Amino acid sequence: MAALCRGRHRWKRTHCLRVFTRNLTAKYDYDLVVIGGGSGGLACSKEAAQLGQKVAVLDYVEPSAKGTKWGLGGTCVNVGCIPKKLMHQAALLGTAVKDAKKYGWQISGTVCHDWPTMAEAIQNHVRSLNWGHRVQLQDKKVKYLNIKGSLLDEHTVKGLTKAGKEIPGAMEHGITNVALECAGFLTGIGLDTTVMVRSIALRGFDQQMAGLVTDYMEAYGTKFAWKCVPKRVDKLSSGALQVTWTNTQTGAEQKDTYDSLLWAVGRAPETKALGLDKLGIQLNKETGKLIVGADESTSVPNIYAFGDISEGRPELTPTAIKAGKLLARRLAGQSTELMDYDNVATTVFTPLEYGCVGLSEEEAEKRHGKDGIEIYHAFYKPLEFTVAERDASQCYIKVVCERGGDQKILGLHFTGPNAGEVTQGFAMGFQCGATYSHLLQTVGIHPTCAEEVVKVSITKRSGLDATVTGC
Amino acid sequence: MAHRLLVRRMWTLSVKDIRCLSTSTAASSSFSTSLQSAKTRVSFLSPSRTLPHTLPLTSRREVSFNVQDNEDFTERVINSELPVLVDFHAQWCGPCKILGPRLEKAIAKQKGRVAMAKVDIDDHTDLAIEYGVSAVPTVIAMRGGDVVDHFVGIKDDDELDSFVSKVIGQ
Repeated sequence: MAALCRGRHRWKRTHCLRVFTRNLTAKYDYDLVVIGGGSGGLACSKEAAQLGQKVAVLDYVEPSAKGTKWGLGGTCVNVGCIPKKLMHQAALLGTAVKDAKKYGWQISGTVCHDWPTMAEAIQNHVRSLNWGHRVQLQDKKVKYLNIKGSLLDEHTVKGLTKAGKEIPGAMEHGITNVALECAGFLTGIGLDTTVMVRSIALRGFDQQMAGLVTDYMEAYGTKFAWKCVPKRVDKLSSGALQVTWTNTQTGAEQKDTYDSLLWAVGRAPETKALGLDKLGIQLNKETGKLIVGADESTSVPNIYAFGDISEGRPELTPTAIKAGKLLARRLAGQSTELMDYDNVATTVFTPLEYGCVGLSEEEAEKRHGKDGIEIYHAFYKPLEFTVAERDASQCYIKVVCERGGDQKILGLHFTGPNAGEVTQGFAMGFQCGATYSHLLQTVGIHPTCAEEVVKVSITKRSGLDATVTGC
Repeated sequence: MAHRLLVRRMWTLSVKDIRCLSTSTAASSSFSTSLQSAKTRVSFLSPSRTLPHTLPLTSRREVSFNVQDNEDFTERVINSELPVLVDFHAQWCGPCKILGPRLEKAIAKQKGRVAMAKVDIDDHTDLAIEYGVSAVPTVIAMRGGDVVDHFVGIKDDDELDSFVSKVIGQ
């Protein structure tokens, strides 16, 4: 869950008065109270504590219907990025084992996957991270409270002590990157998986790239039910689930049976549980997320929000962490720097990974016009796929640049193995304002997939075949 | 049965008297005088030879156990008459799984002179934090409710034997 920050501002008068006021009156218990011990909340609280603030973090996980809970660290650590990437790796290893035979490895019989072994290993790692976070809070002198926090007013947080998302899905309903990533690794470890998509996949991402990702997944074995909307789910006597849906294109009603259903339809903020409606904090009506300013402030003074809970922000761990740290510095009066949400690189960890930084082709066209941009692209084949006899039809690179002047790079897109690793380095170049000529000046590392990025030369405009060969 | 219980209580008291040299309340001194005759029967250095009856009782008191909750920790570790090694471990910790059996072996060698309390840090996070545990395995030696020694990480059998001996005071 994302973090909600409160700060007291009595020290804003002058720096030197800060110490006095706190000692003399101690009217408030904490300088900063953070609700949510996730990526954003932990980063913000530790930074604030390091700057001398008295900080408390409230983190509480409401048990699911089946009683599932998890520890400190938030979504990323427990049910997000970390387990996702590890399960993605499990699936990739399955593919690697198949490739291995072509490379000479003598593997007898069929190799199958044991879910409990993987689940336990991953959960053990997650628990070590939970512990690590706990120790870090202790070291940085942040008070940790395992209670459910809600806001009473702009200076008071109420805590309640007490009393998801783990079903290996055979069917999903959703269009988010999370949905595709889950479907991807479930297929990879050998489960018969179907993805139901209401309209398009990876909304907000470059759609040509999204198409390549889903094309690869279909070739890989994941089934897709495009333009379908679920109507009802019935539990059969066998325990299986019968799903009835409407195909919005044909209007036909279809049904099929599945063992498990996974709803990956996006996050809904717990605004009611947080007491936000009573405080009159402005929310986005559609998403329910908090509307925030460039400095993470909400419509109520003293209350800030960042991370997944804030409207219009990327639902990513690194942005939540950075925003949290910068906010802590601003609240402590140490800086005025605001979080820059542009130029954030990201990667979708589907079986064929997709990394990108900057604008999509659609967005670049919208801002600069079709004639104002030049798109360099290439279909390449990773060397490792050759001996493994794997299909590389969807391995692709696209660099969207300004047409005139230095041809500043507006967006960079890459599908292929290790897309995250490949994209990270280019993100730095992007941050430095790289141009197409910079790209051409860069000598590639051979033999890699990444070198194909610095070798792009065929434009979309030319209409030429963009398939490139290695050497 | 009554005879055995009486002897056990005097055994316990005599151990306490020896450790708490500074305390001299009327109650304890009256006990200590009445114990003089008992002490001649009870040989502190080799209980197993002079009082075979007490040995089954001491070994019935668990030498190695899992801590259930804070109350259990207070009762069986802090208030323990024996020195206690507290083994802070975690399910996800590989080295802990190696150290665990080694510790059990070292404790068993001491035949009831030292106990071991096992604390799973995921189940008892606050307790672990309270004792400043950051990495696991962490082993803390406690006597009379105080931390007298500790180590972090794996140790081999010989190192453990000398650690345990030092804790008992041999």
